[in-house]
Amino acid sequence: MEIEVSGQIKVSNDRHQAEVSKQTGFPSAATHYMEATVDLNEELSIHKDATFYVRVKGDAWKDFSILNKDVLIIDRSLQANFDDLALVVQDGGFKILRIPFDKEQETFVLWGVITYVIHAVR
Amino acid sequence: MIAMVDCNSFYASCEQVFRPDLWGKPVVVLSNNDGCIIAANKEAKQLAHIPMFEAVYKIKHILIKNKVTFFSSNYTLYGEMSQRVMNILETFSPSVEVYSIDEAFLDAKGLSHIDMYAYGFEIKERIYKYTGLPVGVGIAPTKVLAKLANRMAKKIPKYNHVYIMDTDAKRIEALQWAAIGDIWGIGKKHVQRLQAIGVFKAIDFVNLPLAWVRKEMTVVGERLWKELRGESCLEFMAVPNPKKAIGTAKSFGKKLPDLGRIEEACAYYITEVAEVLRAQKSCATYVHVAVYTNYHSTIDKQYRNRMTVTMPIPTNDTFALIAQARKALHCIYKPGYRYKKVAVNLTGLIPEHYVQGNLFEKRSKILDSNLMHTLDVLNRKFGKTTVSSAMIGTRVEEWELIKRERSPRYTTQWRELLEVGL
Repeated sequence: MEIEVSGQIKVSNDRHQAEVSKQTGFPSAATHYMEATVDLNEELSIHKDATFYVRVKGDAWKDFSILNKDVLIIDRSLQANFDDLALVVQDGGFKILRIPFDKEQETFVLWGVITYVIHAVR
Repeated sequence: MIAMVDCNSFYASCEQVFRPDLWGKPVVVLSNNDGCIIAANKEAKQLAHIPMFEAVYKIKHILIKNKVTFFSSNYTLYGEMSQRVMNILETFSPSVEVYSIDEAFLDAKGLSHIDMYAYGFEIKERIYKYTGLPVGVGIAPTKVLAKLANRMAKKIPKYNHVYIMDTDAKRIEALQWAAIGDIWGIGKKHVQRLQAIGVFKAIDFVNLPLAWVRKEMTVVGERLWKELRGESCLEFMAVPNPKKAIGTAKSFGKKLPDLGRIEEACAYYITEVAEVLRAQKSCATYVHVAVYTNYHSTIDKQYRNRMTVTMPIPTNDTFALIAQARKALHCIYKPGYRYKKVAVNLTGLIPEHYVQGNLFEKRSKILDSNLMHTLDVLNRKFGKTTVSSAMIGTRVEEWELIKRERSPRYTTQWRELLEVGL
């Protein structure tokens, strides 16, 4: 058992002193220009509670520049407007299509609006 | 007013979001180890000859004949989808009490100026739009009434999954509609006793004298009685109470005769529960370990035993807990049996900072465990048991649960994303 001697003030090895920079040279010229680094979640306005990522298999949608292995970013919170690309359900299967002007005519269920496509180039 | 929101057939619905080919079709979800049915959607429930909680091997032919799709439980997916629902609910009220994985209470106290019908429908619509999950909403003056309103929203088709109990006349009507057993918090035993004295509907219950309720059903019954009369008694708990016990008891994928693999499974389960323990910043005083042979088997010799060890100092250190659990396991393990299950349970949970040291061990040694913190960070980032005790071994697949029909973890694993275009 370890016995600690009382009545004696132990000097801590850690020196508690205010943290001050030891830098003495010319201060960084960028000091007043610091900004947060670009954050993709922010830039692509990823709405995390409504966003799903979906991987594409095959080249069925290459006319939309959506290729095999691409990942779609789908934001379900968005309203589908004319000309939006969307993932829809038709006859029990997924399809990608452009929302037509007269969407009432179509027989599909909207699953979500595609906002971006991630395409790996290597 | 209080809103009670719950997801319809939550587990099955989570599966169906990503499987439009199954929309409108019967779907069931199986328990751990694919043992029995734990969840079924409306379409599956309508096939009355599918008994819930029945062992799957007994009814597999019925499922196949009725074209019921079955899934092993994918708790990773359900947990993540649940989190989305709860986050969305938080945009509707500053005070959300998550009651279970698929249910929550919302305090709408400060929202008296808005139209509750519009509010209820907006909750339902937004959750469906954002996540694809259908929910029901019940709004009423108290928690117990909100739960009842939610039941009405679900059971009475004309309400279309949203029911607002905003007048006293509606409250009376609801109490006349509901059977006594439908009331949240009235268990089977009380139902029998109440029926014996002629109480069949909720309305009969609130018409009982308070003195009787208090005497026969204690303060718990009294609170229900008051809540049903519109007087709010149940606290709103926006912050969940820490768990009082944490355990896990999963069957092995196959029966195990040897101590080695059981030890590994035991260490694995301790690792899992210790993580939960640290997440809620508690320490455990007792470790319970139990072993079981297969109760249903007619060809195996039967044995079961359990043991409790007291930790020298309450701790949440995985290694310390594994060491004690292992000692207990060695005491109760008997060779010559084929074991089906090992259960571990941590109890006597106390907050981390209340832990007292004793004469022989310094408290600081346990608490200053940066190691555990580092372990948790690594495992969270790189996946479960990336770094763990060597006691876990490398034969996990030899004993772990069977999850043959588990769906992809669509929302948490980049390699398991939903695939379209096949």
